[in-house]
Amino acid sequence: MGDTASDRPGDDEVVLRVQGMTKRFGATLALDGAGLALRHGTVHALVGGNGCGKSTAIKVLAGVHRADAGRIEVAGRSWDVSDYDPRAGRAAGLRFVHQDLGLFPQLSVAENFAFDAGFPTGPARNVRWRALHRRVAELLEAYEIPVDPRTPVGALRPAQRTLVAICRALQDQEGDQRLILVLDEPTATLPQHESDVLLEAVRRRADKGQTVMMVSHRMPEVLSVCDDFTVFRDGRTVAAIVGTRPTERELVGHMTGAALARDIDEHTVAGALDEPVPQVADEVPTPTAGGTPGADVVLSVQGLHGGPLRGVDLEVRRGEIVGVAGLVGSGRSSLLRAAFGEHSPAAGRVVVRDAGGREHDAGDMTARMAAGVALVPEDRVGEAAFADLTVRDNIAVTVRRKYWRPWGMDIRRERADAAALVSRHGVRTSSPEAPFTSLSGGNQQKAVLARWLQRDPALLLLDEPTQGVDVMSRADIYATVREAAAGGCAVVVASSDLLELCTLCDRVIVLQDGRVTAQVTGAQLTPDHLTALTQTTAEPPPIGAPR
Amino acid sequence: MSVTDTPPLHSGPEADPPASDGAASGQRVPRNRSRLRGLAERHALLVLLVAVVAFFALYPPSADVFFTSQNLSVLLGNQSTVALLALASILPLICGYFDFSLGAIAATSSVITAGLMSFNDLPLGLAILVGVGLGVLIGFVNGLLVTRFGLNSFVTTLGMATLLAGLIQWYTGGQTILAGLDPRLGQFGSETLFGLPQVVYIVAVAALILWYLLAQTPFGRGLYAIGANPRSAALVGIRVRRATWTTFVLAGGVAGVVGVMALARTGSATADSGNALLFPALAAAFLGATAVRPGFFNVVGTIIGVLFVSVSVSGLTLSGASSWASPVFNGAALLVAVGLSHYLGQSRAARAG
Repeated sequence: MGDTASDRPGDDEVVLRVQGMTKRFGATLALDGAGLALRHGTVHALVGGNGCGKSTAIKVLAGVHRADAGRIEVAGRSWDVSDYDPRAGRAAGLRFVHQDLGLFPQLSVAENFAFDAGFPTGPARNVRWRALHRRVAELLEAYEIPVDPRTPVGALRPAQRTLVAICRALQDQEGDQRLILVLDEPTATLPQHESDVLLEAVRRRADKGQTVMMVSHRMPEVLSVCDDFTVFRDGRTVAAIVGTRPTERELVGHMTGAALARDIDEHTVAGALDEPVPQVADEVPTPTAGGTPGADVVLSVQGLHGGPLRGVDLEVRRGEIVGVAGLVGSGRSSLLRAAFGEHSPAAGRVVVRDAGGREHDAGDMTARMAAGVALVPEDRVGEAAFADLTVRDNIAVTVRRKYWRPWGMDIRRERADAAALVSRHGVRTSSPEAPFTSLSGGNQQKAVLARWLQRDPALLLLDEPTQGVDVMSRADIYATVREAAAGGCAVVVASSDLLELCTLCDRVIVLQDGRVTAQVTGAQLTPDHLTALTQTTAEPPPIGAPR
Repeated sequence: MSVTDTPPLHSGPEADPPASDGAASGQRVPRNRSRLRGLAERHALLVLLVAVVAFFALYPPSADVFFTSQNLSVLLGNQSTVALLALASILPLICGYFDFSLGAIAATSSVITAGLMSFNDLPLGLAILVGVGLGVLIGFVNGLLVTRFGLNSFVTTLGMATLLAGLIQWYTGGQTILAGLDPRLGQFGSETLFGLPQVVYIVAVAALILWYLLAQTPFGRGLYAIGANPRSAALVGIRVRRATWTTFVLAGGVAGVVGVMALARTGSATADSGNALLFPALAAAFLGATAVRPGFFNVVGTIIGVLFVSVSVSGLTLSGASSWASPVFNGAALLVAVGLSHYLGQSRAARAG
């Protein structure tokens, strides 16, 4: 229990109490007797690192998962978790707004409200549009959302969309503010100014007596808006801070465990505060497996702006595996895609040195490929797979020209190469002529890697390389990536799996709001340390202030 | 990089059994059966075609006329325009786009080529060039609208077809253009070479070129990749927009040739929507997608599709069926083929999974 921990909620009425909640998924214990208490009329933050169990807790409250043990108490009514279901939570007054807001962008605000609560109908089952618009307009006004009910939701600003979702979730609330609003990472995909607008609005609702529970990864945000804090770590409640506002350092200390708090103190917060240049005082260059200091720089990114990126500098050398850590929206994927030439940057340079030592400054994806860049995208089904084509087609697609002869395609050689690659990379398939969809996720990913590695890329960009991949394939993929790096390939891995970054990488950079805020190597490279770095900001929330 | 002589990366026998092991030991029987089934699926349409030919060659009411060279000559000659238009239509279809304006492009090319000779006394060669060039140009505009501005191909080309049909109506004033055509064109359309109408050789050459382009070049392989997943295609360096655009341009050009061929066959040009050509052509393309390379539009399958429908209809006509037999057979064959290929595709996916 943390130092400011208190199981006694004070004089205020506790409207939601969770006790001893335990949930096991196979061999992993996602929740291990976790608890929390929500006071009426407060904004309550539920925080913790990746895999700490907070999403599981939210899903149990929403009735998506059924917990193995524990009690849930909402507004005086109490359930054993075995009796708790979505209907019970809703009847007791829990309302959820998930990160995916569940709105229909093409439809009007009023219609979105009506799909939740039903259309008001006249005698002939006809929609009474005027009544609907009047009611929604009143609700919007009460929530201070300056939007016409007839506007399509897609035309709203991002923060307004979230507010509409909140207002819709609470639309059946009478004047007494009995409902409990649960926001699951409401600001994860919002830019800074939008999330400020949203948080201010949430704060105003709370001041009027609305109870809110909020899950967020962004420490400055929860610190600026929340009254109470519950910190989860490894499925347990490690701190319940009521009525006082902890410092960011304290909060992150709870999240990562006390032993690491000192560590973060020295290396992150202090370092990043003092130094204007985004390089942390962690200067011991560790010569690791492949990365020889002084070897050729394959990728050099200078002052890159574009999309969420706001001035990224990065150098990756031959044989080095560099990780990119950061929260959703920090620009992880954008950095990789910019390096692959999918979009030309708004400002800054991305220079790639090919195997022959020539530098390539600009170019679209085809030109980048010719310069030896390879990208394994995050969305395997949507952006890497050719589902209806064969495994052979999927592998050969990056080297189509290689098999062309004036009299046609050399299918025999293509088959032989595909078969060799399939066995070399351990892709389990009945035959290279099998449809790609017949492979499991892990084997599809191995085939996608094989597709690129046959080109002997100078720079391999991997976006979430093991998402949805089983454990065995994961080990194979790590071995393949290491092998490529040992052969001189420069590798950049973007991942939300911090353990993966620590296992695979020589060096990890941390992106926050489109900038590199830290760099970690050697013994510092632990998931807890990275958790601390990705979730802390060393400065108070800068609202539009250039750094 | 020579792939073949590199040792496997993961050498643990239990972690990584080579793919062939499992297939060789446990899965031999089902694999052979599925291969047999795949073989049957690929050649079903061809077998049907042969069966239909055999039936009408032996069936008494049609037997004496059916296998005469004259009947075959008429049959192939009449189907040459549909066959070539079907080949044009599969180009955008492979990338996942419909082109409904191809019939109208053929009609436009036909009317303009005739009109230029009849109204403006242009020489034959130039008139043909303008007619085909117009097809290329309209294909270019279609491609521009669909790939550059991201408009829905279905709606865009439907609009283009309607627009063209109206424009050529205005151009001809509703009259059939008969007079003033270069007689060499009509001669070409009616003469035979080695017992087959000359236009058949044009279709054969076009089919050969398109087969090479689609099945035997990196460009063609890229088109199939685009059809399978345009996002993935872009991320493996295929210039998706340019390639798709090219298919619209090529299809427009081929449809232009179809128009000239139609003019040569009939000796006159009438402004119409071209749907009488387009619908059987699309039907043949979809029939063809159930054969040779099931699930994908392909040149050989398309030709077999055209032959299957036309041979069957010809046989039915010779056996005394009325004129309604042709569309009825055409439609029924398409429904059965598409239904069957959907079913086979499902069982293929089930087998794979």
